[in-house]
Amino acid sequence: MATLSKKSLLRGTAVMILATAMLYGCKDFLSTASEPQGTLNQTTLANRAGVEGSLIAAYRALDCTDATSSNWGCAASNWVFGSVASDDSYKGSDGLDQPPINDIEGYHWGTPGAGDYLNTKWTQVYEGVVRANSTLRLLKQVKASSPTTFSTADANSIAGEAIFLRAHYHFEAWRMWGNVPYYREDDADFRKPNIDSAAVAVEILKDLDSAIKLLPTTPRNGQVGRASQWTAKAYRGRVETYTKQWAAAVATFKDIQSNGPYRLETSSDRVWSAYQDASNGPETIFAYQASSNDGEPNAANSNYGERLNFPYSPSHFACCGFDPPSQNLVNAFLVDPASGLPLSITAPTTWNTSNGPFVAGNMTPVDPRLDWTVGRDGVPFKDWGNYSIAWVRDPQNGGPYMPKKIIHEKGSGAEATVGWQPQQQSSINIHLYRYADLLLMLAEADVEQGDLPGAMTIVNQIRARAAVTAQGPGTDRASMAIPINDPRITWATYKVSPYLTFPSVAYARQAVQTERRLELAMEGQRFFDLRRYGTVADVINSYITGLPTISGGAENTRRLYKQGAEPIIAKHRWYAIPNLQVELSRVGGVDMLKQNTGW
Amino acid sequence: MEKVSGTHSFLNGRSRWLRAVGLSLLFAVALSGTALGQLAVTGTVTSPGGAPLSGVTVRVNGTDIRTVTDPSGKYRISAPTDAVLTFTGVGHRPVQTTVAGRTTVDVTMAAISYLEEVVVTAYTSQRRADITGAVSSVNVEAANKQTQASVLKALDAAVPGVTVLSNGSPGSRSTVRIRGIGSFQNNDPIYIVDGAPAGDAYMNSLNPDDIASIQVLKDASAAAIYGAQAGNGVVIIETNRKGVAGPPQVTLRVRTGVASPVSGYNDILLTNSLDYFQVLRQRYLNAGLPVPTTVYGDPNSPSVPNYTWADPSTVCATCRDALGRVVTADPSKYSYPNALIMPGSQGTDWWKAVWGSAPVSDYNLDVKGGSDANAYNVSFNYYDQAGTAKYNDFRRGSVRVNTSFNRSKLNFGENIAISTDRHYGGIPNDNGGEGGILSKDILLQPVISIYDINGNFAGGKGVPGVNSSNPLQNAFNAKDNVAKDNVVFGSVFGGLDLSPQLTFKTKLGFNLTQNSAVGYGWTTPQNNEANTSNSIFENNFQSTDWVWSNIAQYLKTFSRSSFDLLVGQEASAGNNRFLQGSINNLLNTDLNSRYVQDALGDPNTKNVFSSGGRNALMSFFGKAGYNYADKYVASFTLRKDGSSNLGPTHRWGTFPAAGLGWRITNEPFLANNRILSDVMLRYGWGVTGNQNIPSGRIVSQFGGDRGDTFYDITGSNTSIVPGFRQTALGNPDLKWEENRSTNVGADIALFEGNLNVVLDVYNRATNNLLFAPSTPAAAGVASPPIVNIGKMENKGFDFSVGHQGSWWNATLNGSHYKNKIVSIDGVQTFFYGPNQTRIGNIAINMLGQPIGSFYGYIADGFFRDAADVTAHATQAGAAPGRIKFRDVNGDGVINNSDRTIIGSPHPKFTAGLDLGAHRGNWDASATIFGTYGNKIFENQMDFYVFQDFASNVRKDLLANSWTPTNLNAKYPRLDFNDIYSGAASSFYVKDGSYTRLRSMQLGYTLPSGARYLPGARVYLQGENLFTHTNYDGLDPAMPAGNAFGAAGDIRDQLMGVDQGSYPSNKIVSIGIVTKF
Repeated sequence: MATLSKKSLLRGTAVMILATAMLYGCKDFLSTASEPQGTLNQTTLANRAGVEGSLIAAYRALDCTDATSSNWGCAASNWVFGSVASDDSYKGSDGLDQPPINDIEGYHWGTPGAGDYLNTKWTQVYEGVVRANSTLRLLKQVKASSPTTFSTADANSIAGEAIFLRAHYHFEAWRMWGNVPYYREDDADFRKPNIDSAAVAVEILKDLDSAIKLLPTTPRNGQVGRASQWTAKAYRGRVETYTKQWAAAVATFKDIQSNGPYRLETSSDRVWSAYQDASNGPETIFAYQASSNDGEPNAANSNYGERLNFPYSPSHFACCGFDPPSQNLVNAFLVDPASGLPLSITAPTTWNTSNGPFVAGNMTPVDPRLDWTVGRDGVPFKDWGNYSIAWVRDPQNGGPYMPKKIIHEKGSGAEATVGWQPQQQSSINIHLYRYADLLLMLAEADVEQGDLPGAMTIVNQIRARAAVTAQGPGTDRASMAIPINDPRITWATYKVSPYLTFPSVAYARQAVQTERRLELAMEGQRFFDLRRYGTVADVINSYITGLPTISGGAENTRRLYKQGAEPIIAKHRWYAIPNLQVELSRVGGVDMLKQNTGW
Repeated sequence: MEKVSGTHSFLNGRSRWLRAVGLSLLFAVALSGTALGQLAVTGTVTSPGGAPLSGVTVRVNGTDIRTVTDPSGKYRISAPTDAVLTFTGVGHRPVQTTVAGRTTVDVTMAAISYLEEVVVTAYTSQRRADITGAVSSVNVEAANKQTQASVLKALDAAVPGVTVLSNGSPGSRSTVRIRGIGSFQNNDPIYIVDGAPAGDAYMNSLNPDDIASIQVLKDASAAAIYGAQAGNGVVIIETNRKGVAGPPQVTLRVRTGVASPVSGYNDILLTNSLDYFQVLRQRYLNAGLPVPTTVYGDPNSPSVPNYTWADPSTVCATCRDALGRVVTADPSKYSYPNALIMPGSQGTDWWKAVWGSAPVSDYNLDVKGGSDANAYNVSFNYYDQAGTAKYNDFRRGSVRVNTSFNRSKLNFGENIAISTDRHYGGIPNDNGGEGGILSKDILLQPVISIYDINGNFAGGKGVPGVNSSNPLQNAFNAKDNVAKDNVVFGSVFGGLDLSPQLTFKTKLGFNLTQNSAVGYGWTTPQNNEANTSNSIFENNFQSTDWVWSNIAQYLKTFSRSSFDLLVGQEASAGNNRFLQGSINNLLNTDLNSRYVQDALGDPNTKNVFSSGGRNALMSFFGKAGYNYADKYVASFTLRKDGSSNLGPTHRWGTFPAAGLGWRITNEPFLANNRILSDVMLRYGWGVTGNQNIPSGRIVSQFGGDRGDTFYDITGSNTSIVPGFRQTALGNPDLKWEENRSTNVGADIALFEGNLNVVLDVYNRATNNLLFAPSTPAAAGVASPPIVNIGKMENKGFDFSVGHQGSWWNATLNGSHYKNKIVSIDGVQTFFYGPNQTRIGNIAINMLGQPIGSFYGYIADGFFRDAADVTAHATQAGAAPGRIKFRDVNGDGVINNSDRTIIGSPHPKFTAGLDLGAHRGNWDASATIFGTYGNKIFENQMDFYVFQDFASNVRKDLLANSWTPTNLNAKYPRLDFNDIYSGAASSFYVKDGSYTRLRSMQLGYTLPSGARYLPGARVYLQGENLFTHTNYDGLDPAMPAGNAFGAAGDIRDQLMGVDQGSYPSNKIVSIGIVTKF
């Protein structure tokens, strides 16, 4: 048998040792393998594309994003916190579906479930803040390292847009929780204490003022999704209204009214519409720019936050029956046959006695906006044919109605073709702020400043627009919206007349607030408005129990589960700060985020 | 001799192959018993004490002639005059002797002392007596008495200190945990197969029959030589590398059987529609609501509807009864998918529709042989296990070639296994998440039919509240969803014996893996929440991992002491790449059209995605051992590892370990005792590491996604522009997770080795836990940085007691651990586990408590009456018959702060019992496994008790629900308005203890003189035939659901949650092992 010579043995050993030595002589062995794969780094983004992209991401956080949405608390419209929590709508679906919303609706905001939803909202708005602040930091970095990258105008606008967005996100946090922390681009400590709600408003206004100085008068690059100086001014007025700085609000709004680019849409059907030509009309101040069939495989950029709020099977939409308008809201659209004014104004103790369902053929006159806001049995549902009570998931639980504003028109072609239940997904924009909202806040400020005629003019302007079109038989776009006295209308009598006089401040206040409810119903504003008015406890408690202001019409007899609702008390002034965030803010055993009083 | 005619026709595929095997068998039969020039040899085999040994196999070397000793130890065999006889018996040292013309050959066989076993541990093999750490050897033979794709499934019963969680889905993952849980994430041990590291995923590709030995290194003093990767323990698996000198020896093992689920939901749930209605009716009546009439008609005389759904276009104006129910529908107007007609059912047994018995088969053929200069072992395996759920199947084929060559001082060789497996049905790791084959869909109401009037799948459309899908459709449509794994795994090695004392070894291990999956998403027009667009996806994952290790070993024996030294170096690296494509709205759903191509679907929905990862490790290690007179044993280990996953300045970690052993029976004072034959006391201490985190996390990462950061800034409604955000926060200071363990143990052989006891007590503390604690939302949604923070502790003991009798043997092993979170990040006192159910956070990780504890209210029975409600703390929705939650903090209000720990999924004790016996040619064995004191969170109650989404309900719900006259009911009052009682509470927490007869086997070895198949062993085997448990859900043996966090696998935070887990299988099979 052949044996290996000593020489070859040695040679073999030498090769082995050499190879080994080479391997660990190669210092890069570990560091090369430590490079992350399939990702970008900070350097890659320190340029124009990076700054612009970062800003785009800051806009995108206006509605639920893939990365943050664990439930529907992220919805741009605030339908859970602004509509379901108010007298506009119920949770809907069946009793056990999305149980956290039951807790929000029952004002049990300290429960774990409510905490989950609140945490989603908190996470969503602060993600927006983070994205806005990253944009500002990146912009600063690029301006420093490569000053010619951006023209001054562009750099200013980018900074202005980011600062505006930061103000918007903080505004969202502020109107939810009041006492929240404010984060700017140089903040590195993410466990800052929250500040008093009044101080937050000051910070928001400070940012809005900076944005107003930086922003151009028209959206940069002509891209309608961007904020302009007017957007920021409109927001300024909004914050002034929320903080009852009436004189300042009037000044801000009147400037916009006289010099700004906004007008009311010509008719109601164009306000919430998925037709592209109506999606960024003159009434849009700021909207979440939804898109569908844009190459995203899950339709995540469409009206994602609203996707539960569609009629159930066997309707075309098939799911999920959330956010159905309340009987109370439907009754609010009833009109006094003689004056054409809201019945709740002319008959303040009896307008809410009907327990419904209010179906087609009931010719009690109604405001035509009812059938742009609420889907009800037998009435055409935009251009999808007649709405049927059979489309309701569980009428016993959620009542017979469904929301309508967020429904895309069949003829619009805006429906998604991809994702879970694509028929509930469309590119209908979500209004975050529209001109009617602004005008009604001006009217509110006018009333508080004693300018009752000014307020009435605005209310009547809104009512005049409402009187232009009503829901039509809806086989095509032309027949979907028709004059309110068109003989083809067989399911309702529509009437909406102007006020002839505002005899007192109290009357005017009531008229403006009522108009605001009717015009902005189901748009996620109502609960925040009630808080602002300071009437939230009265309105909500009597909404639920019928007492003490309204006879009949207690929702806890219409929707029995409402018997479990807590009465609104002082602690409901603000939503509970999500417990998880309080926990996470702890430094050295001390919670930096202080929970709101009562929670 | 049987005649083999030439007229047979060759059959196709497997049967042809089987026929070939059959022919070989016949040939073998023909060969045996025909040798000439033989002696008839008889003899008796006894123990050194003179006791006869039965069941000892006597074999004539180089032939297939064999026999077995009878109960009196006697045997008879015919052998050539110059033959060599080999005697082998369980628990005894083999004996070889030459016949040398004798006709009587008596033999004495000594029992093998447990301590004399040679076990492979860490780069080399050691005598058991030299081991000072906690090392358990697996009885591979017993483990293989279970029909499993992966040998891991049997480990919990076989090794003290090991828990295994798995379900009955064929080819599903087995989650192995060694001595508790050390980390918040990724607690998988490392598997070293023939010297090359492998992940959990490889274990399904490894044929259990190829395994020669498994050692589990449980403590750091044993495992520290694997340093950075050993923090969760090490499982060392050696395959059948040793061939035997002589002509090819062929072994054929065939096992085939039938599996059925150990239990079914039809044992638990209603299967009659009208019974279901009674529950529904009561829920409405108790709520004071009118009972719906749309499905069952008049509540006082309910009936199963003719149709649960008939599209309005198929129903004439007069075809409805007074309540609007459809009486007749026009089948000619049926049109799929737009106008469906679905009949009502008297009671669909959904369980039976989907679940049943399924075949399982395992074929192994191996060929061994060699000479002094070489040895080979080639094996083939085909394993096919159909799921007990329909259209669900796991198949694996593998080929292994192990060879070794000796050339003087040089030896070299390789072990290579090529395996390919297929999971059909797309549910190998179904863990009950909604949408799985089991979960919520199997809880569909009985009134819904399986098929509509045209034979298409029916669904819940028209039945209020139902949003589940037809589970049979789920299974059927997923039947072509196939996941494939192709793996080439192995190593090549070379060794050089420079001198008798000094040897060098080098080994290159590799693992080339390719996984792919295709999936189909189907439409469900028959559902309330109809899915109207179909979709497909296809993905491909490739990874290349290699490891190169070089070691030198020096052994020196002095007069009374011996010394060994091992030094080594190792480098390893891996990279992987993942590519996925998908498209929706296929024009044609035919299998041949399911490709991601523009023309085959809607090109706008096409989506392509790729990702990848890289990592590398560099290591140096050494080990020194000293043994004085087999009395004092000491070993020291030191390993240094550098990992690319960690921060540049913290890349290198040092992992020391030491072990001391004292063989007390070799001391003079115990020299003459008759009880203690051999006692070794062991102490071990060591540090191991963990760096099992995603690569690239030392720097911040940025990215985006069309659905997350892209936005339609132009207001086009149809187009988006790109956006970016920070996706992960980096931590340049990432360092090792450090695991320190102390182990005190004893190996005790009593009564001349008739009783062997191994006992270990340990304390295992993990420091610098690699963990990504949540950041405040103010830091954004980017994945939080992974930091070294937190501490966890596991204390416990494990033991085994074994007896090796002359005709029977028994081994009992048991283990206990107590897991405790000592610190999270120094700030947080808790964080929630993954939130994957509809009732919110149910698992929590809290200081001082075990990982993944259940969290919620304490349910204190039901409110008795209105006075009880008033007397109790304020609780939302409180009413008689609803669940009363305890006011834990005594503030008079039931809210968040009253939630507390309500149970632990960790067992207090687990035990395995292995029994074996043989008499003559018969042998029998059984394995029993039990787990005690663990709790299960029965999340399925959300559906089958609280009726979330109008699910089917438990059989006893109507009879056992609270009523004013049934105050001590099992369930709260049936009440449609009760949305409160279902909150996460101890009401869901159940005892998960069970004892299960894991396997039972009865075998018969045919005598060597048998006419057919001489020497073959045939057996009958049963698995999971019997379970004792108080758990009233489906199956108490369930895996932790898949859960992933930002920094990897976090399934340990969601243990013991019953979300509908694929039940274990009851398998009855027959098998044969024959050599020729």
